[in-house]
Amino acid sequence: MISYRKILCSAVAAAALLVGPALAEEKPAALGVGVFSFTSGGTAAYGKPGRDAAELMIERINAKGGIGGVPLSATYVDEGQGTEGVIAEYRKLAGDAATQVMIAALSSGNCMALAPVSDQMKIPTVGWNCDTHQLYLKDAHPYFFRPNGNTVPEFVAYAAYLIAVKPDVKRIAIINPDYAFGHDAAKIFTSAIKAFKPDVEVVAELFPKLGAGTYQTEISRLTAARPDVIFSNLWGGDLENFVRQASPRGLFRSSQAVLALGESSMQNVQIPEGVIVGVLGDGWWMSPDAAANPETKEFADAYKAKYGKWPVFPAMKMANSFLYVQAAYEKAMAGNGGKWPTREEVAGAMKGSEVKTLTGTMQTRADNDGVVDQIIGVTAKADGHDGPVIGDMVRYKGADLMPPAGEDPIAWIGTLAADLPAKLPQPGSYK
Amino acid sequence: MPLLPLAGGAIIALVAATFAFPWLEFVLTLAIAKGLAALGVAILLRGGLISIGHAMFFAIGAYATAFAMRDFGITDVFALILISAVISLAAGLLIGVYVVRYRAIFFAMLNLAISMVLFSLLSKFYGVTGGTDGLRVGTPTVLGMVLEAKAVATFLFYASIAAMVLAGFAVNAYFKSPLGEALSAVHTNEIRLEYLGIPVRGVLLIAYGLSALLAGIGGTFAAMTIGHVLPDMAYWTDSGHLVLVAVLGGISGIGGPFVGAVFLELVHTLAAGVTDAWNMIVGTALLGVIFFMPKGLIGFIRPAKKGDAA
Repeated sequence: MISYRKILCSAVAAAALLVGPALAEEKPAALGVGVFSFTSGGTAAYGKPGRDAAELMIERINAKGGIGGVPLSATYVDEGQGTEGVIAEYRKLAGDAATQVMIAALSSGNCMALAPVSDQMKIPTVGWNCDTHQLYLKDAHPYFFRPNGNTVPEFVAYAAYLIAVKPDVKRIAIINPDYAFGHDAAKIFTSAIKAFKPDVEVVAELFPKLGAGTYQTEISRLTAARPDVIFSNLWGGDLENFVRQASPRGLFRSSQAVLALGESSMQNVQIPEGVIVGVLGDGWWMSPDAAANPETKEFADAYKAKYGKWPVFPAMKMANSFLYVQAAYEKAMAGNGGKWPTREEVAGAMKGSEVKTLTGTMQTRADNDGVVDQIIGVTAKADGHDGPVIGDMVRYKGADLMPPAGEDPIAWIGTLAADLPAKLPQPGSYK
Repeated sequence: MPLLPLAGGAIIALVAATFAFPWLEFVLTLAIAKGLAALGVAILLRGGLISIGHAMFFAIGAYATAFAMRDFGITDVFALILISAVISLAAGLLIGVYVVRYRAIFFAMLNLAISMVLFSLLSKFYGVTGGTDGLRVGTPTVLGMVLEAKAVATFLFYASIAAMVLAGFAVNAYFKSPLGEALSAVHTNEIRLEYLGIPVRGVLLIAYGLSALLAGIGGTFAAMTIGHVLPDMAYWTDSGHLVLVAVLGGISGIGGPFVGAVFLELVHTLAAGVTDAWNMIVGTALLGVIFFMPKGLIGFIRPAKKGDAA
């Protein structure tokens, strides 16, 4: 059966063939994009939605005639093969003139390794998911853009939300994965909480290794520590295992849980109601801003139809990164009189750009780091939607929680005023 | 020696390949770096010792480069190689004094254990080592010249080939020396060697130090080529990888570990470019070599002689 979409695609392609040469002769047959995500190993649970969203976005952009009349053509690279392999693939793609832009990478370690390579090979690269605040701390990367934001606003936001809903919190416990992301988050979250409420005590700090599988000992420790709040940035399969094992033991009843990456797993595992979750940015596809955008609804429906699930926030981050690339090309072409832009011109267009995405805006700072809003809420049920949703939402302005460029972020968190959570928008105000 | 022109031809083929496919330069530099480390493992295999922890010396060489650059501002490529070589040799001798007392599974496991201790230290001492995100390694200078990153990458490729050739000759001379012959004899009959008045531990310690030195030099090339060092470099799977490379290429000659490393990197790169199921292709290729070429890839060109280590 030939689908309507296929006919449309062929029609567009035919039209492009007929009209294309007449408009501009130097336009390539396809715009090559390198897309990097985890598609093997345990981390693929989080990486696959990103990859799926990339495929869907390319399909959608090409159905509308591509970017400036040129269809996108992606080369997918699996980050599960290790950093060396990722760099080798990146260099191979960047050395090929057909590839003009990269969307890389999911892992912060890979972004740190790829950023100097992007400068060296002068290819504009969009870090779609990596969020370490170390990325731009020491070196400038003129070709590496990370519009999706960094760990500091992501986790300071949780501290602000928590203080707003639970101003009498005294004892907090942390269970994070044992690598840089887990340790960074623990440091940022505790520094922020202490800035807002100095008498808070950290009663347990646990770092199970990535992919641990069983968390029974940790759950016992957490239960015995009697914390008011348990903060965690476990993710993917780890988060799902933790929730499955902690729920029956009543951990979520005795303590308020904060699952920072909860949204990415709430369609796979039953997270009890009332748990604080968020999306490390503004990528909640059902947020009021997203719901007001017909494109987002269309994308979400197409995603659900194609993959059987609603798009989780890694999928939204990937989709938004494609819009970011598209906007850069359109801006570059508008700037040079409609000619097909070079890699330099595309990077130039990304510089300082502000792009409207499916869920909000991505603002590029002078150091190429991104400023995005932070949406946080609690797990809830909604009528007329087959799955959990986020209720009591707040949308913090990204700029309010972002340390100034070049400043030591941890020291900056220490300078935050204790009454900041009271001055920011309040939980439930975003509807 | 009829093997010499063959090796020369192989090197010319490597260089020619980078002219046809410029991206191969990175892959091959890395393959040669791992080949150096695998040659270190092959030295120990000649003495009948399997080390499942040699990635630690690879990591020591790599981190020595990163620290020398970050904390001491040393950027010259030759100075960095020298520093990493000295540090990995020292580490090899230090650890060697302890582990050469053991044989067989105990030797393998002790190496594994020490390498995993190093891995944990590298990932946990976040403030010093950058934790699991690792450390960045800048573009080195060449004899005081500040070159463009691309030129340095090309320089490193040729430098790694030079290192491979030098290491090849050196290890060949070592194998032919009384010390090297004694090493093979340890494998055959250790007690007889003791009766001949040859200190077995001394023989093994020198072999161990040499193998650590080679792995460390490989590590510094990898660090400068990748531009980033990670604790994963010391992880036991990477140590296993080195043993695999050595056995895959064949340990009967000097060329084996390099042939194995280049083969494995190329299969990996090509397979990962084709499918997400690249692991399966790599695995099938390995099974093919193990089943049909028991002497390793090098067995193709070098017929087995009497007295070769299996």
